[in-house]
Amino acid sequence: MNEPETTCLTGEIVDESVEISLVELSRVSGASEQEIELWVAEGVFDPKGTAPREWRFSGASLRRARVAFRLARDLQVNASGIALALDLLDEIDALKSRSRASRTN
Amino acid sequence: MKYKDYYAILGVERTAAQEDIRRAYRKLARKFHPDVSKAVDAEDRFKELGEAYEVLKNPEKRAAYDRMGTHWRSGEDFQPPPNWDEGFEFSGTGEASTAHASLNEFFEAMFGGARTAHGPRGPSHSMGEDHHAKVLIDVEDAYRGANRSITLQLPVIDARGHVQLQSRTLNISIPKGVRAGQHLRLAGQGGTGTGSGPAGDLYLEIAFREHSRFHVDGADVSLDLPVAPWEAALGARVTVPTPDGWVEVAVPKGSAGGKRLRLKGKGIPGNPPGDMYMVLNIVLPPADSEQARAAYDTMRQAFNFDPRSRFSG
Repeated sequence: MNEPETTCLTGEIVDESVEISLVELSRVSGASEQEIELWVAEGVFDPKGTAPREWRFSGASLRRARVAFRLARDLQVNASGIALALDLLDEIDALKSRSRASRTN
Repeated sequence: MKYKDYYAILGVERTAAQEDIRRAYRKLARKFHPDVSKAVDAEDRFKELGEAYEVLKNPEKRAAYDRMGTHWRSGEDFQPPPNWDEGFEFSGTGEASTAHASLNEFFEAMFGGARTAHGPRGPSHSMGEDHHAKVLIDVEDAYRGANRSITLQLPVIDARGHVQLQSRTLNISIPKGVRAGQHLRLAGQGGTGTGSGPAGDLYLEIAFREHSRFHVDGADVSLDLPVAPWEAALGARVTVPTPDGWVEVAVPKGSAGGKRLRLKGKGIPGNPPGDMYMVLNIVLPPADSEQARAAYDTMRQAFNFDPRSRFSG
């Protein structure tokens, strides 16, 4: 175990206003560009621009891309399976927050 | 060192066929994948599954593991018999080995040496890897911004191929307006580059700690607001907490239970900011004294009220 080093840092929020290129999204998410292209074809992401080189993803895509990458890597889920899984996960989140809101009544 | 029963972890018999082991692993991996399961221990369970599967899917490692004997129970103090691995050559690494870089003592001691360190790949001057971590913050931090000290555990593969945990403490400032699921990018705080390549970035995924009062949904925050029946019926001004301090809220007269009052722009700050919702919860005072019972009786006589009127319609 090494000695902990201490640094003071300010981060930048990767929010909807941040635009990410295909190369950056691939680098940050860990997924290959080919994989991401397949996911776009399945409607997992809706980048601005037409050709893959011009694509601009919103900052919110980063979390989806990370989840997609982990599911593909850990469970060998193919592109259409990824699209389905992410849609279902979104739906579960929405239902959970709705049921929590109604439980308080 | 504690013994780990890999068969029990996968829920299979010691005599299980490779195909059954694979099927059991796949099924449990789907169930406990941290992105799918909301169980608090999902991440640990998933790592444990990966570790068990990495050994049992490989006939050589499985045979070596079996040779340690069947009389051990999970969690029991354990010393491997001498030369337990004699005559076994662990070839290569499973494709899952770096993905689930296991930090488990038992696994490391038994099978860790078989892991090969990944040398630098690609061009000799390349950017360092990006690193990822999750950070739990309080919803109040998103309203005001905050300084937090976080400790990251980074698995590093040493010269002998063993995984060592390196810890690094960072003081980071959480910017105001951050939301759950968003990432915070700390430029140059990832892995070091090779050659003259720049260091990678560190990405922190933000999540909110469960709060006893506030529930966060995107940029909106909601609060369960208990009111007395007369406050809901006659209207009232009540003082309520928000993550940014106390505010006075007008409960309109004739409010029904479950009604949502919106405080526009009082959710998580941003452009646009989220909203704050107060969900009215009408609480009945207990009829636990003569006076209280008399008050309820007065109500009964004062109202010609049938709460079940729609049943007879």
